[in-house]
Amino acid sequence: MVSDPILLFLTIDAVALLLLGTFARLMPPAACGFLAAALCGPGALLCLPSLLLHLPVTALVLPAGPPGLSLHLSLDPLAAVFLFVVFLAGTAISAFQATTSPAATVGNLQVTIFCLAGIAFSLMAADGVSIAFGLAIACATMRKHPVWLATPLLVLVAVCLLTPSGFAPRFDTIRAAPIDAGHATAAVGFTLAAVACLTWPRGGERCWTRDALTAGVVLPAATYLLLRMIADLPGSANQAWWGIVLLLAGGAVAVVQGWRSAEHADIDAAVAALIRRQAGVAMTGIGIALAARAADLPDAASFALAAVFLLSIGGSVAATLASLASHAIGTSAGTYRFSRLGGLVHLMPGTSGALAAGILALSALPPGLGFASVWLVFQAILSSPRTGGLPAHLPLALAAAALAVSAALATAASVRLIGVAILGRPRTPRGSGAQEIPSPVRTVLLLLAGFSLVAGVLPGPILRLLADPALRALTGASANRLALLSFAGTSPGYLALPVFALLALATGGVLLATRRSRPEAKIGGIWSDGMASPAGLPFGEPAAQSTGAGFLPALPAIRFILPPAFVVRVANVSAYRWFGVFGSAATVQPDNDGGLPERPRIATVRPPSAIAGMWLLLAAFAALLLVLAVAG
Amino acid sequence: MSIVLSLLAQLLHIALILLAAPALAGAIDWLDARFAQRSGPPVLLPWRDLVRWSRKIPMAADNASPVTRLAPAVGLGATLSAAALVPSFTLGMALSPLADVLAVASLLTVARVAGVLAALDAGTAPPGLTAQRSSALAVLAEPALLLSMVALALMAGSFNLDPIIAQQREGILLPVTASAVVFTALAALVFADASATDRGADAIYSGIDLATVRMTAWCRRLVLLNAVGGLFLPAGMATADSGPIGWSIGLAAWVCKIGFFGVCLSGAQILAGRIPRRSLPDLIGVATLLALLAIVMVLASGGSA
Repeated sequence: MVSDPILLFLTIDAVALLLLGTFARLMPPAACGFLAAALCGPGALLCLPSLLLHLPVTALVLPAGPPGLSLHLSLDPLAAVFLFVVFLAGTAISAFQATTSPAATVGNLQVTIFCLAGIAFSLMAADGVSIAFGLAIACATMRKHPVWLATPLLVLVAVCLLTPSGFAPRFDTIRAAPIDAGHATAAVGFTLAAVACLTWPRGGERCWTRDALTAGVVLPAATYLLLRMIADLPGSANQAWWGIVLLLAGGAVAVVQGWRSAEHADIDAAVAALIRRQAGVAMTGIGIALAARAADLPDAASFALAAVFLLSIGGSVAATLASLASHAIGTSAGTYRFSRLGGLVHLMPGTSGALAAGILALSALPPGLGFASVWLVFQAILSSPRTGGLPAHLPLALAAAALAVSAALATAASVRLIGVAILGRPRTPRGSGAQEIPSPVRTVLLLLAGFSLVAGVLPGPILRLLADPALRALTGASANRLALLSFAGTSPGYLALPVFALLALATGGVLLATRRSRPEAKIGGIWSDGMASPAGLPFGEPAAQSTGAGFLPALPAIRFILPPAFVVRVANVSAYRWFGVFGSAATVQPDNDGGLPERPRIATVRPPSAIAGMWLLLAAFAALLLVLAVAG
Repeated sequence: MSIVLSLLAQLLHIALILLAAPALAGAIDWLDARFAQRSGPPVLLPWRDLVRWSRKIPMAADNASPVTRLAPAVGLGATLSAAALVPSFTLGMALSPLADVLAVASLLTVARVAGVLAALDAGTAPPGLTAQRSSALAVLAEPALLLSMVALALMAGSFNLDPIIAQQREGILLPVTASAVVFTALAALVFADASATDRGADAIYSGIDLATVRMTAWCRRLVLLNAVGGLFLPAGMATADSGPIGWSIGLAAWVCKIGFFGVCLSGAQILAGRIPRRSLPDLIGVATLLALLAIVMVLASGGSA
């Protein structure tokens, strides 16, 4: 049954992608990349009528699958938004692969094509089998750990838990019947596990194709899963504490990934962590929206969900851009290490500018997209319910703190990425040989950069054009009610375009004023505070520049007793990672070089300038004030 | 008519900020010297310095990118944008719809980021070290500023500065204890900002660019004092349509407020001494905790909005 040709064409598009991936080895890689881009581009365009014209929900039944479990597809506003995002990112990645030099391998092209086809199927799915089918294709292609292949099964179980007994696991069946609260809670747990599996950092060898796909395709798909399975399908079974769990988890992800992005030694890993930080912010937004919806506050929910959609639409483009640009820089300069890059603004101006634009959108600086998203989440916190006492409000306060800290960390990470990797002087002879990428590839990056910048300056129109139907469907409130770019009311909100205009006007005024009175500058060599240059390096030692370390404050020392098996000799370790316990990058290794058995001892992890006593005093002070606040 | 008045008030406010920022810097230097029993430098010395620097021939490193050339202008532009949004002697200025507290705080961050990028672009070690230290401190200070602003917004039910100040003036910015806690946090931040006198980044500039960078720092200090004065001591502030008499009263009150806060800042620096660089994180950490506490207090009190 076909109720709309758009859904039929989108289905044909996804099937064509699957066929292209299957027969990719029969054609040249560049042609395969161009064909993939040619399939993804129209896919993104096909989603636009549904979003712009607010077309009704359409459905399609494919006569395939087990008996009685035909594949049901559907195109509603939520699916259309994320299909647009995924196809847009897919177009950019495929075009980049088709034009990059050295050319992408057929294997990498197949990864891109199968991942895009699988995610597209899962976004169009209207039943548990279809969504699991799409996710299975995507997860198998991304070559994750075998445990991570459990993602489709976990999602299928979640859908089955939401389905009334005796019926097929279809979304329309779920919406039509009341859902048991216990089943719904279990489904939320399975969904969270599936999302964790889907987005868990990929270990092993470096693969820029998978990094870019994770940034532009997989993370938006994970956001879609959270929205569909937790915010949409459970309907009235929605409970406020689900939102609290999500906002706390999102806040933790935002802070931890922000910290990693500001301390990692490689630019691609730093960019990947910055992208995951945005996913954490989006998760916080979903959590606040769920809590607000449970309290029947549609305005707060719409602010939070608007932030999620803004991060999904513009953030996905910016993430794809930053991921591809960091790969282009790493390939051309021969290294991804901060300590070996530098001076690329002179050698690769176009790529450097594109990377800077992507990073601006990923950070929380005005007039970037990230700032607009963070502002919307704070606005949702401002509009959140004020009942329930301190236990109900403490998570909101913690979420606000996490957002503020992660915004500062993202700024530090952005400064480090631009200042150390792009600006300054080349730190190595190999780095000074970096060359600008070919113009077709650069054009792809610059187009993405343009979209990121426009989305940052015009967040309101972007939301109204692309996310309004989905916002209406999830909250009942329209994007027009958001205060963005509106002078109406007593609280006009964040006016991105006027703020940008004010900043540009003030900067232009200063430039004009200083240029009028500026005598012609003398060009001189590098000034190193009068210190003599090393022998053979008349222009100073380039390796003496900042290497990207030291952009974070020292953390307080914590004394803890470790069991013998994990005793480490921190003093012998040249560098350690504070958050190494959260990922695979831990550098602290057990050191048992003698024949004597290890005995328990106190290991001290002490950054050089930390003063533990002072921090403990502060914590006690804060606890005392908190008690006073609770006591009224 | 009210549009014309609000525009006029906005222009007067910007002119006032441009005039007062170097004067405040000179006054604080003079006060510092007087508190230390020395004859102080002339109050208008910063103005003379600006003129002197603008006449000098600047030096530019041959490896400097456009970032180095643009950074001073972006820094001063962002700081002036923030300054234009924080009311001084009157409310209801032409740009008041843009005066979002988070945007103001972030514009100050943009100015800092421009300076840090220029320092890293220099290609030498000392400015890079300064940039690292500045970023590490900002990771603590910016959340404190943001959380303070969020606490005030939660109390007022709006992120816009005008309603927050108007409610404070009428005494309905509740709970009062949370307001006092935010004031303490902001005062600690201003004190820490004044103590962080790491001027290594200035070494990369000369001539008119050095004048621009110094003016940025002076404007930043005035913006912070102006924000604290407006948010916690809004007495005497006029409205845009109150006319010349109301504006004059507001102007006199503003001069008194800024003078009072300048004396307090200078006196605190003399009494407590400049905070050593290694202790600044502790002071800023206190400010962050206080701001978080204020948010908890506001949410738990079930305040407005």
